[in-house]
Amino acid sequence: MSGGYNEIHPEPTTFWSKYIFSFDHKVIAKQFLWYGIFFLGVGGLMALLIRWTLAYPGVPFPVIGNLLFPGSNGIVPPDTYAMLFTLHGTIMIFYAITPILIGAFGNYCIPLMIGARDMAFPLLNMLSFWFAFLSGVVLLISFVTPLGAAAGGWTSYPTLSTLIGSPGAGQTLWCVAIFLFGISSTMGAVNYVTTVITLRAPGMGYFDMPLTIWGLWLTAILNAIFVPVLGAGVILLILDRIMGTTFFLAGASATSGSGDPVLFQHVFWIFGHPEVYILILPAWGIVSDLLSFFSRKPAFGAKATALSMTSISILSTLVYGHHMFTTQMSPLLTQSFMTLTMTISIPSAIFFANWLGTIWRGSIRFDSPMLFSLGVVFVFGLGGLTGLHLGTTTTDLYLHDTYFVVGHFHYTMAASVLLGGFAGTYFWFPKMFGRMMNETLAKIHFWGTMIPLNGIFFGMLLVGYGGMHRRIYNPFIYESLQRLIPVNNIITISAILMGAFQLVFVYNFILSLRKGAKAEQNPWQVGTLEWTIPSPPPHHNYDEIPVVKCGPHEFGNPNLKTGRDFQYQTEELVQA
Amino acid sequence: MNLLTMGVSANWLDYFRPPENISTTAHLIDDLFNYTTLMVTFYFILVCIGLFGFSYFYSSKRNKTPYYTYGNKKKHLIVTAFIGAAVFLSIDLNITRIANNDLVNTFWKFPNAKNEKVLKVEVMAQQWMWSFRYAGQDGEFGTSDDIVTNNDLRVPVNTKVLFHLTAKDVIHSFFVPNVRLKVDTIPGRITRVWWEVTKPGKYDIACAEMCGTHHYLMKAALTVYTEEDFNKWLASSTLLAANTHDPQDSNLAWGWKWED
Repeated sequence: MSGGYNEIHPEPTTFWSKYIFSFDHKVIAKQFLWYGIFFLGVGGLMALLIRWTLAYPGVPFPVIGNLLFPGSNGIVPPDTYAMLFTLHGTIMIFYAITPILIGAFGNYCIPLMIGARDMAFPLLNMLSFWFAFLSGVVLLISFVTPLGAAAGGWTSYPTLSTLIGSPGAGQTLWCVAIFLFGISSTMGAVNYVTTVITLRAPGMGYFDMPLTIWGLWLTAILNAIFVPVLGAGVILLILDRIMGTTFFLAGASATSGSGDPVLFQHVFWIFGHPEVYILILPAWGIVSDLLSFFSRKPAFGAKATALSMTSISILSTLVYGHHMFTTQMSPLLTQSFMTLTMTISIPSAIFFANWLGTIWRGSIRFDSPMLFSLGVVFVFGLGGLTGLHLGTTTTDLYLHDTYFVVGHFHYTMAASVLLGGFAGTYFWFPKMFGRMMNETLAKIHFWGTMIPLNGIFFGMLLVGYGGMHRRIYNPFIYESLQRLIPVNNIITISAILMGAFQLVFVYNFILSLRKGAKAEQNPWQVGTLEWTIPSPPPHHNYDEIPVVKCGPHEFGNPNLKTGRDFQYQTEELVQA
Repeated sequence: MNLLTMGVSANWLDYFRPPENISTTAHLIDDLFNYTTLMVTFYFILVCIGLFGFSYFYSSKRNKTPYYTYGNKKKHLIVTAFIGAAVFLSIDLNITRIANNDLVNTFWKFPNAKNEKVLKVEVMAQQWMWSFRYAGQDGEFGTSDDIVTNNDLRVPVNTKVLFHLTAKDVIHSFFVPNVRLKVDTIPGRITRVWWEVTKPGKYDIACAEMCGTHHYLMKAALTVYTEEDFNKWLASSTLLAANTHDPQDSNLAWGWKWED
C-alpha cells in the first residue's frame, strides 16, 4: 500500500515551524487538543449558566454572576439565555467534540496506527487547523457585536435566523464561522480519507486496521460528503441576510419572498443527521478497540463491527427526515423516513452484541481507559434505545422539541462522545506526551463524571416526557410544569457536580504533563503499530516503515512463546 | 437558599408522568410510548447484565486466562445475528407498524365537515402570540362576523376540532401537551391538525419551536367547555364580534378562505 509520499521530512528547527505553523501531524493533533479543551471549558460553563437558569429562574448565578451580567444583578437575561443555548450547541459540536475526537485523535492516531510517517497532505493538515482557529476567533468576536451573538438555536432555522428574527451581525458572523469551520473540516476529511487509502503500511489490509481507524475513516468520508452541504446552506443564509435574496423567505404577513423556510431544514439535516454519526463514529471505534485491549482478548466479530459501522454510516445519510416530522412532510416521506430510521437498530444491535462478546470471558483490567469505554457502552445503550421513541412518528409528535430529545441526543452525542474522548485521552496520553497520567485521579474523575452525567441526562428524559419543551427561559410560567421543579433542581445540581469533577481532569492533565511518571514504550501492552515506537514518537514516527503481518487485536493466544500475552502487528500470527 | 426546592408536588410519581390525557387520541401515543419503553427497558437490562455481569465474573482477578476467540465461529455468528434480528422484529417492526396504523387511521384522517360535525379554527402564530379565528355565524372565514381571540382558545368537548395553522413571521410550533400533539406553523404554508377533547377544564398551549427571545412567553390558554357552555360563549362572542368589527383593524385582517 505504501506508495506516494512517505519519505522522512527534515525536522523543523525554529519555534514557529515546530510549534505554531507545524506540518507534523503529532503537533497539529496537540494543537487541536488544546483548542478543543479550551472550547469544551467555554461550552461547559455555558451549560452551567443554562442549567442554573432552568432550575432557579430569577436567582443570580453564584460567584461570577455579577461579573458576567452586571446589568441584571447577576441574573441571566432572556436574550442572553438564547445566545447561551445557541452557542453551547454550536461550540460543543463544532469547536469541542470535532477538534478533540476528529482533529486531535484523527491526526494523532491515523498515521501512527497505520504505520505512516505523516498525513498524505501535511500542508492541508496545517491549514485545516488554522482555518478552525480563524473560525473560532470569528465566533468569539460575535459575542461582542452590538446586538450580541447568534440566538436562533444551533440549528438556526430561518426565518428566525434571517433579518426577520435576528438583526445584527451576530448571526451573520455565526454563518461565517460555520463556513470557515466547514472548510477546515473538509480539508481534514479529504486528508484522512486519502491517508488511510494510500499510506497504510505494507501488508495492512482494511480489516487489519484498528477499529479506531475504521471509525475515523468513516467519519472522514461522511465529513467530506456532507459538511459542504452545510456550507452551501449557510452561504444561502448569508445571502438572504446581507444581499436581500429570499431563498428561505416565503410570502407571509410579515415576510415576502418566493423561497421556503423548510428548505433550510432539509439542507441542514441532510448534513445534520450524518453529523451525529460523524461525532460518534470515532468514539465507537476507540471503544471497540479499547474493550478488546483491556479484556486481553481479540475483538469479538471485529469484521462485523467494522461492517456494522459502515452500514450505519450509509443509513445515516437516508434518515434525516425524522428531524422534521412536525413540519408535515408528505405522508410518503414521513413513512419512508420512519421505516429507514428503524433499520439502524440492526447494525447497532450487532455491534452492541460484539462489544459485550468482547468482554465475555475476557480477563478484564479496569484501567481508566477501560472504565470510560465501559461507560460508553452504558450511556450509548440508553441514548440509542431512547432514539426509538423519537424515530416513531406518532410518539415524536409529542416528544419532538421537548427535553426528551435533549436528553436523548446528549446521551448519544455528548455523554458517549465525552466518555469516549476521555478514554482516548487517558489511553494515548503516554504516547502523546511521554508521561503517564495519575491513575487514582483518573478513577475519581470517571466516577465523578459517570454518576452526575446520568443524573443530568436521565433527568432530562424525565422532564421531557413530563411535557417540558426546549429552549425556554423559564419553564415554570407554565403551571403544568411546576411539578417538575425538583427534577430540574436535581439535573442542575448534577451538572454542577459533573463540572466540578472535570477540574480533577484538568489538574491531572497539567500535573501529569509536568510531573507524570515517564511512560514506557508500551505501557498498556498492546500490539498496534504506535506502541512499537518510543513514547513520544520521533519526528518521522518510523525509522523504517513497518510491515504488518497480523490484525490489531491479537491477545491471549495460548500458543504464544514470547512471554507476552499479545502480539505486535509486525509479528507473524502464531497459529492457535 | 435551598438548592432543592422539594415538596412542590405532593406525589413523586408526577415526575414520571406526562400531563393528564384529555383527548380521544392521546392514548394511542401513550400506549405506543409505553410499549416502546417496556421493550427498550428489557433490552437495556440485557445490556446491563452483560456489562456488569461480565465485568464482575471476568475481571482479571477472577479470570486469569481469557478465552481466545475471534467471535467468528458459526455459533457466535448465529447468536449475534439472532440478537440483531430479535431487536428489529420485537421493537422496530412493531412500533413502525403501530405508528403507521395510527397515522393512517387516526392522525391523518382529517374530519370532513360534509359527513360529521366539525369545528374549524384558523390559527395564526406570531412573535409572541397565538391568534385563533372562528368562522362565526356564516361559516365563512375572513368575513366580518369572524370571532378572533388572542392567546385564548375555547373548544367544546366531544366535538372534532380541525385547525389550519400558519405563521406571520418565524416558524412556531403549536404544542398541546394534554393531547400529545404538536405541529409547526410555518410562514407561507398551512399545516393541519385535528383533535377531539373529552374533559372540560383549563389547559396550556405552548410554542415548542424556538422563535426568539420571548419564546418562553408564547403561551395560550386552552379552555374546554361542555357543549352547552361552548354554545353560550359562541353566541355572546358572535354578538360582540359583530358589534366591535372594525375593517380598519389590521390585526384582524389575517383570515383566509378555508380549503379542505
